[in-house]
Amino acid sequence: MKQKTDVLQGTLALMVLKTLDVLGPLHGYGIARRIEQISGDLLAVNQGTLYPVLLKLEQEGAIASEWGASENNRRARFYRLTKEGRKQLLVETKDWEKTAAIIRRFFDAKAEDLS
Amino acid sequence: MKSLRRFLSRMTQFVTRRRDDERLKEEIEQHIALQTAENLRGGLSPVEARRQAMLKFGGVEAMKQDYRAERGLLFIENLLGDLRNAGRTISRMPGLAAVIIVSLAIGVGVNTTIFSWIQMILFQPLPAVTGASNFLLVEPRSDTAGYPGASWLEYRDLQTQVPALRDIVASQMVPFNVGQPGQTERTHGQLVSGNFFSALGLKPAIGRFIRPEEAERSGTEPVVVISYDYWQTRFRGAPEAVGQKLRVNDFDLIVVGVAPKDFQGTMLPLKFELWVPATMTPVLLGGTRDLEDRTSRGFSLIGMLRPGASRQEAQAECSTAMAQLAREYPDASAGIGGEILAFWEAPRGPQRLLISGLAILQGVMLLLLLAVCGNTANLMLARGSTRQREMAVRVALGAGRWRIVSLVLAENMLLALLGAGLGAAFAVWGTKALRIAPMIGAFPILFPTKVDQFTLAFAMLLGAACGLIFSAAPAVHLARLDVQDGLRSSSNTLSRSRARKVLMGVEVGLAMVVLIAAALFLQSFRSARQTDPRFQPEGVLLAAYDLSGRNPDDASEREFAARLLERLRSLPDVEAAAIATNVPVDLHGIPRRPFTVQGRVRTEPGQDRAISNTVTPGYFKVMAIPLLEGNDFADMRDKAAPAQAIVNEEFVRRYLNDADAIGRRLQTRTQSFAIIGVARNSAYDALGEPPQPAAYFSYRDRPAYQGEIHLRTRSGNETALTSEARAVLRDLDPMLPLYDVRTFSQHIERNLYLRRIPARMFAVLGPLLLGLAAIGIYAVVSYAVARRTREIGVRLAFGATSGRVVLQIIRENLGAITLGTAIGWVLALAISFRVMTKGPINLSVFLGVPAILLSVATLACWIPARRASRIDPMAALRHE
Repeated sequence: MKQKTDVLQGTLALMVLKTLDVLGPLHGYGIARRIEQISGDLLAVNQGTLYPVLLKLEQEGAIASEWGASENNRRARFYRLTKEGRKQLLVETKDWEKTAAIIRRFFDAKAEDLS
Repeated sequence: MKSLRRFLSRMTQFVTRRRDDERLKEEIEQHIALQTAENLRGGLSPVEARRQAMLKFGGVEAMKQDYRAERGLLFIENLLGDLRNAGRTISRMPGLAAVIIVSLAIGVGVNTTIFSWIQMILFQPLPAVTGASNFLLVEPRSDTAGYPGASWLEYRDLQTQVPALRDIVASQMVPFNVGQPGQTERTHGQLVSGNFFSALGLKPAIGRFIRPEEAERSGTEPVVVISYDYWQTRFRGAPEAVGQKLRVNDFDLIVVGVAPKDFQGTMLPLKFELWVPATMTPVLLGGTRDLEDRTSRGFSLIGMLRPGASRQEAQAECSTAMAQLAREYPDASAGIGGEILAFWEAPRGPQRLLISGLAILQGVMLLLLLAVCGNTANLMLARGSTRQREMAVRVALGAGRWRIVSLVLAENMLLALLGAGLGAAFAVWGTKALRIAPMIGAFPILFPTKVDQFTLAFAMLLGAACGLIFSAAPAVHLARLDVQDGLRSSSNTLSRSRARKVLMGVEVGLAMVVLIAAALFLQSFRSARQTDPRFQPEGVLLAAYDLSGRNPDDASEREFAARLLERLRSLPDVEAAAIATNVPVDLHGIPRRPFTVQGRVRTEPGQDRAISNTVTPGYFKVMAIPLLEGNDFADMRDKAAPAQAIVNEEFVRRYLNDADAIGRRLQTRTQSFAIIGVARNSAYDALGEPPQPAAYFSYRDRPAYQGEIHLRTRSGNETALTSEARAVLRDLDPMLPLYDVRTFSQHIERNLYLRRIPARMFAVLGPLLLGLAAIGIYAVVSYAVARRTREIGVRLAFGATSGRVVLQIIRENLGAITLGTAIGWVLALAISFRVMTKGPINLSVFLGVPAILLSVATLACWIPARRASRIDPMAALRHE
């Protein structure tokens, strides 16, 4: 359980960045929907956990936010990727791919390869 | 970088946290609204759609908590919360808080006041000069005669030969007679080297300072710089003062500038009004050869340590230079080395004396503060115990131990800092009160004590230390609290009541030490005032004159004194008149001079010394000191009689084994005298001192340029003689002012001044501390009794008399108190042995103080005990 949330925190941030990169400015609900669509049940229960992550990213300067009108014509907070965030996304994507590749090779390795 | 940015944004969001909370709320609502709409489109009923949306969102409160933790500065938020809580708690106990704050304020205030004095002497020896603690004294030191001062030529040599010191400056203190003939006024000034003001880094208030070239050539530049106060009082602060003439020692000087405010010269605590180039010395002081004579050592030297140089370097260079001078000028400088000293080590002036006295006073006052802390800790502990249920609830609701501790800490720190703040205010008032203290003796004295940032920091530091000390016990106690136990109402574990008893004992012990110190001090002060000085001060007027501006020789000094006395004695109201170089019971003391006396062989190393005073015939009559043997001195104009001396009883007892003294020869360093009389012992340095050996010499044999006139009145009103005496002196020499006119009683009173300040402090603080101790004991006992209501009820129900109950409660508490008292008593005894070496133990103090303390303590136990014993047993049993 604990492990899961730790991973969640890290990956959620990356997912937020990627979502904003692909879709442009979005409000919290939009981001949550998008992540849900792609990741399945990751945010099924705890959509709320998104907001602390958004705040953290905003504090780091990776995203910025401003008020705008939502599709139901209410005030909503729209988040968008900053230049800094784009850079961060690039770096983290690379890191993530590298890590994933290493893990993949590790899982694919057979006993004779390690001897 | 990233973390710094996060921190900064957290800081700003900490400020805007309320707005941010609203923003989050709005975002959540919007989120749920959108999800609900989505669900509605999916075909759910409105109610179910919203429910599902909320379920999907998850725990709002937990998320908010996360959000907040992410956002703000949790630590500061907690702190503010603690402080708010502390403020509420304190406002719920106004009486207790007032006692704590006021007692702390007094403790901190007294300590800060004393510290401001120590601080001034150690770090601010040169008022108005920045970086004053970098200045060091350069003092020639003679093998035989202590610190004789430096000569002008020596100064010029040292100036270049001690490179570790930048810009050595020379100054000499001189009393000037300022004003037109017939209405002169004695004003103190300094003769200074040309670099004096520039080396001290001062800027003139108006005008300019003495230029270096003005102190080069002898007697050519009649300029003077006046002090700010002098400018304000004599010139009413008018800018036209610059350029005006000032008549000094019957010579016109031109005022060129005004020294900055608060600058009072370089010999703290003396306050000077005039600064004149040293090269004016021959003109102003009647043609002295001070500037050419290497044996004329009147100058004091100070220099600023060059950055990077050490005091040791300066000392080494100074020693080398002085050794070189000793070789070059053996007549003037043989056997004279040099020392580099800090200001507080100054060989002249009261610094050294003050520092040791103040250090003792500060020590006692810190003990007092510690006792106050003990008292406060006890009060807080007693209070903390009543709050254990509150704390237990907090712990049960999930507060961590550290949160409990920080809660208690915040409360106590708030109290402590409030106390320290009030204490600092007391100190501001206290130092002001000391500043306007009257001047002492013939010298204008000003202690420029003030509460500056150091003193304030000291006060706050003391406050914080106190807070930590007295929160330790309750914090530890509450943090260790067992929740189960705490939630039950009437628990009172053994360890807790023991902690309170230990604290009570410690507090009483500390109070004991301070009270004994206070009592000893007051006693010595009172006995000093009541002691018979063994001369008769009543009816005697004192006044001083000073011929130094005239540069007189022995013959003219003798003649002047003789004529002055003749004129004074012819006044109808004068019963007797005399002149002496020293007045007994003076703050500065009377010099002790080494001597040898015929018929005495000293076995141990060193020299015999005796109090030495030079007096005219008639002195013993004025002072009403009987001559036990022999006669008074020969007449002032008698040229035939040999040099004479009169010694006192103690001299005869100590140095001559009570053998016949008359006719023996007494040899000082320079002269031989025949002993012609024996005078009764009297007080010399202080009232109530043990007998000291003394030798009187005759003005006829050792005339001096300075004299203290003693006049005994016939009518009983000595002050009435003042104007007549002034007229006589003006008649003899219109340029000479009569100064420092005072009755002998005033003289004595004035010199008790330095002892009177601490005496007053103790007189106030002693009873206060006793009161505090009583309050502390009362609080502890009444708390303990309240917790045992049920037990007491049971006892009473089973037939115990209320008297027995009272007795038992008192006995239980008095144990700790008595132990504390005993330890404090032993401690005080040990301290009194170390500090006050002479004299027997003061029994009345060492028995009286514990008696008073114990009776007060018993009373403080008895009141709550008696109240407890009077309760109705049935009510007590129903209690909770």
